[in-house]
Amino acid sequence: MVKENLVKDVVKEPYKYGFVTDIETEKIEKGLNEDIIRLISQKKEEPKFLLDFRLKAFKKWQKMKEPDWAGLGYEKIDYQDIIYYSAPKQKEKISSLDEVDPKLLETFDKLGIPLTEQKKLTNVAVDAVFDSVSIATTFREELAEHGVIFCSISEAVKNHADLIEKYLGTVVPASDNYFAALNSAVFSDGSFVYIPKGVTCPMDLSSYFRINSGDSGQFERTLIIAEESSSVSYLEGCTAPMFDTNTLHAAVVELIALDDASIKYSTVQNWYAGDEKGIGGIFNFVTKRGKCLGKRSKISWSQVETGSAITWKYPSCLLLGEESVGEFYSVALTNNLQQADTGTKMIHIGPKTKSTIVSKGISAGNSKNSYRGLVKIGTKATGSRNYSQCDSMLIGDQASANTFPYIKSQQPNSEIEHEASTCRISEDQLFYLQSRGIEFEEAVSMMVSGFCRDVFNQLPMEFAAEADKLLALKLEGSVG
Amino acid sequence: MEIIEKIKTKQSQDSLTEIQKICLDKLQPSPLPNPKSEQWRLSNKSKFSNFLNYPFNEKNPKFDTPFPKSSQSTIRLVIGDSCQFNLIEENYSIKQLSEDKLVKYIKEQISCFDENENWSDLLNLSLNCTKNTLGLKINGSEIPPIEIFSHASSNSLNAKTLIIFLEKNCDINLLQVNLGKENSSLSQSTFFFLEENSSVNHGVVSYGENKSNLLNSLNVIQQNNSEYNLGSLHFKFNFARFEIRIKQSEGNAKTNIKSMQITKKDEQISTFTKIDFNGPNGFLDQINKSLADDKSHAIFEGSIIVPKIAQKTDASQLSRNLLLSNLAQIDTKPQLEIIADDVKCKHGATISQLNEEELFYMRTRGITLTEASKLQLSSYFQEIISFIPVSKDRWDLLDKLLQEN
Repeated sequence: MVKENLVKDVVKEPYKYGFVTDIETEKIEKGLNEDIIRLISQKKEEPKFLLDFRLKAFKKWQKMKEPDWAGLGYEKIDYQDIIYYSAPKQKEKISSLDEVDPKLLETFDKLGIPLTEQKKLTNVAVDAVFDSVSIATTFREELAEHGVIFCSISEAVKNHADLIEKYLGTVVPASDNYFAALNSAVFSDGSFVYIPKGVTCPMDLSSYFRINSGDSGQFERTLIIAEESSSVSYLEGCTAPMFDTNTLHAAVVELIALDDASIKYSTVQNWYAGDEKGIGGIFNFVTKRGKCLGKRSKISWSQVETGSAITWKYPSCLLLGEESVGEFYSVALTNNLQQADTGTKMIHIGPKTKSTIVSKGISAGNSKNSYRGLVKIGTKATGSRNYSQCDSMLIGDQASANTFPYIKSQQPNSEIEHEASTCRISEDQLFYLQSRGIEFEEAVSMMVSGFCRDVFNQLPMEFAAEADKLLALKLEGSVG
Repeated sequence: MEIIEKIKTKQSQDSLTEIQKICLDKLQPSPLPNPKSEQWRLSNKSKFSNFLNYPFNEKNPKFDTPFPKSSQSTIRLVIGDSCQFNLIEENYSIKQLSEDKLVKYIKEQISCFDENENWSDLLNLSLNCTKNTLGLKINGSEIPPIEIFSHASSNSLNAKTLIIFLEKNCDINLLQVNLGKENSSLSQSTFFFLEENSSVNHGVVSYGENKSNLLNSLNVIQQNNSEYNLGSLHFKFNFARFEIRIKQSEGNAKTNIKSMQITKKDEQISTFTKIDFNGPNGFLDQINKSLADDKSHAIFEGSIIVPKIAQKTDASQLSRNLLLSNLAQIDTKPQLEIIADDVKCKHGATISQLNEEELFYMRTRGITLTEASKLQLSSYFQEIISFIPVSKDRWDLLDKLLQEN
């Protein structure tokens, strides 16, 4: 019994990033209608095709019903009570980092984003999104030398309208689902990456999203295009300060990989999860999808989900090209009253396509952690192969772990394997570690870390370290 | 769909039994199951409406049993045979349930039915009169094997209900055979109640002829220390659904399920299982095998529910599927819903075709391709067939399956 309480205490850790940056922001009125969409488009000086795209999406959204099949049981969201555009007010255009609001830079510092010179040494370029509008983008010149375009999506709309027009909405169409339609109508900003033919991106690209203003939903849109024989690794990290009202986050991420291209997309998500009673927290309803268009192309999703009151996200791969590969590696940790409903969809359409799914769920407190996945092998996907593994770990007897894999095969010349298991922290192992002089909380943390090892191995170096720290943070602290 | 119309309009209200009235009341607001719900989403709509299209028939024509009665003291019963059945021997007794008890038990069951999930049972009970219901109460030891047949007649829809109470410390082998006729529909609902320390080896073999349909529902309630072993086989149905619902009401019970469905031509056979652990120390070992050929469609959906009270549950579920043709399809969805923390639960699923290396090996040893694939299939079938309580020399199921394939 004592041990059980200890484990429960161990998983409690106050939210470290809960602070509000007090800077002037420019907001538009609450609510959603055609005029608001026109206003957003106008403020961002967008071309007509994009306004049409938004209005079309909005019309579709109006006809759609909010989905409830996951049984998440959250209070109804009032979509008219959300501010759909908020940008930090800047007096004049920024030419260097020194001119950026120091308070803003301080915020990023607290988050541990080295947006300054130190980052150059670590060879990572950062496109920081602060409440919808990109503030500064570093390393652009070095990337430009290789022909890589890495900028905010609003800049891309101005400078590379042809690419946006060609690819936007081709992977996640506006009518895909309720939240994707909403995002298509009102998206404010996000990142755009274009890797030209034959280029291996010289550095890992990274973007940190941060929701700052309490009542502004963040609807960012990311589009990554990898041309033939190119490769890129993209890192996304998310933290948000504390607020009492739930903030909606409905992002859309689209990846396109052409012949022999590879995209690795890694996420560490640590948004505010609400307090122990479930008050506040982010609703994270995200549509992420990659299209392996070309032969031998590869898209790999890896994610560490530790935050948000409700996470609802299924990064998917459409495997169209011959011998294309899709991967999904995920760790989801839920505590208190958090709910995570996450998984993936691997749609095998082309022949000899391969996919791997490794999902690890850890549920503690009163939380609910579900894996929901789809593996579909179409009639033309001869010689395709899928392997899925879903493991859940339960801490405490109030948490729940669910697994809903759905497998559909229409091709005899293919193989699908799925396995799932559920366990708790083994008392024998705990006893063994403790008898070797390792503290209880450290032992728990070691075991959780070991449980997630398969996924952490897939994360880029810096992220793996951060993810390990994040889990340890969530699991350590209040004991001793 | 004459039957659905009847439900809607509650025709011939007066002649109905109490149970029928209750079921009709439950069904009336939505006479058909929700086609968008998980349980019915994959069911072929035209095949399902075909199932309901035959006129309802209460009569039971003569039929040929698929294998001879053993000379030993096997007990053989046919649902719908109106003769009264009471067997009281030195060690055991098998008695027909009194009508009061039957009604009481069914009413209890219906009270916790969900209109959508238990639609098949509600339909069965709303159609069925007492004549086609067999209720048995079994106690004692050294009970000879029991065989129960239910069958459909051509160009009609038949409904049969079987209810079995197994008293404490009782141990039986029961083989249930459901036979479909050409152009027929059979709705079979079975209710099993296992008291403490009882154990059953239950075999369900269902097969039809050209264009026969089946809706087979099995509800089992297990008390402390009971053991339920099920071996089932479904094949040769144009449309068939096998729904298994098992509830370990107090935990501490053992359940083993080995089921198999074989689909050919444009058939669709699905198996749905729901295992509810309602107490600690439950055990489940489940394997479902499917084989889909030609243009057929095989479906498996299994859910395991482990609430907080069911600590130390040990459950495993495996779905193994063979897809033999380009036009066939297989859907499988094993599910785990767990709230208790001290449990061991796992599930697995595979879909593939016959192992090419094994085939190649056998061919290098001079075995023809057809023979080699038959050998592979027989080992695939054998695991399930050996679990069905009927001896090979009486009814060679493996041989029957291999001939069919």
